[in-house]
Amino acid sequence: MTGAFGGTFRRIGAIARNTFIEASRNRAFIGLGIAAVALVVSSMAISGLALSDQRARVLVDFGLFSIALLEVVIAITMGVILVFKEVDRKTFYVVLTKPILRVEVLAGKLLGLLAILALSLVAMGLAWVLVLWLRDVPLPSDLVQALVLSWFQAALMTAIALFFSAFASPILSGVFTFGAFLVGSMVPVLEELLTLKKGPLATNPAARFLAESTVSLTPDLSVFNVGKELILGIPVGWGYVGAAGGYCLAWCVLFFGLAALVFERRDFN
Amino acid sequence: MENVIEVEGLRKHFRTAMRQRRVEAVRSVSFQVARGEIFGFLGPNGAGKTTTIKTMVGLIRPTAGRIRIQGGEPGKLSVMARIGFLPEQPYFYDYLKPQELLDTFGRVFGLPAALRRKRIDALLAQVGLDHARGRTLRKFSKGMLQRVGIAQALLNDPDLVILDEPLSGLDPIGRKEVIDLIASLKARGKTVFFSSHILADIERLCDRVVIIDRGVVRAEGTLGDLLGAGRSDKEILVEGAGTGDELAALPGVRRVDQIGAGVHRVVAAGDRSDELLRYVLDRGARVTGVTEQRMSLEALFLDRAFEGPQAREAE
Ligand SMILES: Nc1ncnc2c1ncn2[C@@H]1O[C@H](COP(=O)(O)OP(=O)(O)O)[C@@H](O)[C@H]1O
Ligand SMILES: [Mg+2]
Repeated sequence: MTGAFGGTFRRIGAIARNTFIEASRNRAFIGLGIAAVALVVSSMAISGLALSDQRARVLVDFGLFSIALLEVVIAITMGVILVFKEVDRKTFYVVLTKPILRVEVLAGKLLGLLAILALSLVAMGLAWVLVLWLRDVPLPSDLVQALVLSWFQAALMTAIALFFSAFASPILSGVFTFGAFLVGSMVPVLEELLTLKKGPLATNPAARFLAESTVSLTPDLSVFNVGKELILGIPVGWGYVGAAGGYCLAWCVLFFGLAALVFERRDFN
Repeated sequence: MENVIEVEGLRKHFRTAMRQRRVEAVRSVSFQVARGEIFGFLGPNGAGKTTTIKTMVGLIRPTAGRIRIQGGEPGKLSVMARIGFLPEQPYFYDYLKPQELLDTFGRVFGLPAALRRKRIDALLAQVGLDHARGRTLRKFSKGMLQRVGIAQALLNDPDLVILDEPLSGLDPIGRKEVIDLIASLKARGKTVFFSSHILADIERLCDRVVIIDRGVVRAEGTLGDLLGAGRSDKEILVEGAGTGDELAALPGVRRVDQIGAGVHRVVAAGDRSDELLRYVLDRGARVTGVTEQRMSLEALFLDRAFEGPQAREAE
């Protein structure tokens, strides 16, 4: 932690640490976390006593899906108020007037939330593994990779939430970000529609342009979803996880950069 | 003398929510603060004090004008490292205990752990919050939060302290303590800039003041200049010096009240009072009391802020 960037890391760390402490002392968040774990456990434990192979697969697929979705929900709900709350409660006055760059404050807030997402993921992941183990379902071999990928997805949604909240209200930002999540999850579907030789996307240039720009401006979230591979036993190598991480990082940098640009120029009244 | 703060031709306009109306919060503010001064920034509510201060600490950008804090631009890391700032009605992370909040800021300042702990212990004792270490800030009263605010402003042992209404929200004992604290900062060679709309305490505390109203500086100077002894009136009690009308006709007399049989209270301009005293004594009257009516800052304030020629011209 020395040299020119030592100070930057230290300052970002201080803000991230505090953001993490805030969530860990927030009763609503802790309640939500416990409820999420309970949900994962109960929904999977209830489904009958004996398990066919078929149902065991459903258990794996549904479990991963629930965890990934809950991660995204946490990312969006906490991401859109990450900055808003500090401005609304005027707690930024005493932070931004310290020797710290605004972009460092923003990065610290983001990293703090990513740590919270990682912790929630570990909690839910452990609950999931516990249920699979209790039900004698063999653990999918690439379970950890799948969970890491769902964290990447949540990280990306956090960056998008931060971006929208730079100029929209929390509720509106939440709606936009969730919209981006839905569209992002359907990018492969849209891409397939674009290859069709018939239909409105082939005949209507305006519709085609809209679909094409949507596809290119929205991160493809299917990259982070390996539920099918898990069920079919197709290996998800760490190489793939690394590549997906790079893809996630690139988009995060873009959205974070845009949010930071707005944040930098903003007046704090 | 070296200037620690230089504000030149500051203007700040806000646009209201729907961009309907433009609010001119600060229209024309210029002043300098020298090293080691206690500088008072005075003005009624809505005068533009907080807006000016927010531009000084980099929270908002001026519409026009130039600001230098210890030679650098507001917001620059090297500048912010050497100042302490107390916002008006400060708000903090209320899920933290006071020492945890200070620890977070200490990390931002880059203070090593041992020094952080030492400073925090000393500051909490200094602002009288030692007993409140066990409580989160959520449970703090307004006055206690103000003390936390002062502690966090001093955490980096700054050369310059900027305090927005540091005396508001405190009980009389708290006010006295903060006043003593500000005086002790000056004794340690620090520069203190603070705003207030309450004047009584500032009179004792400040070396120099700027008076601002409706976004414009109305007066600036040392208290001596502004409340100059020569210009302060004298109140003279005389017995057997003639009728009230006769006294009122004398040069320099501002007002005469009869307060008993043949006893009058005469208020006269300070620079004419000697002349007046000689005259009444020559006439065989008895002088039973002379008191200086030092113009209070309050009176000056009202005078300059609300009835000054600039105020009228600005309408
Ligand atoms: N963000 C803002 N938008 C619109 N008007 C503002 C804003 N901030 C301050 N003002 C207005 O600017 C004027 C000066 O406010 P302020 O600087 O807070 O005064 P003071 O601190 O002297 O009481 C007030 O009339 C206030 O209503
Ligand atoms: Mg104010």
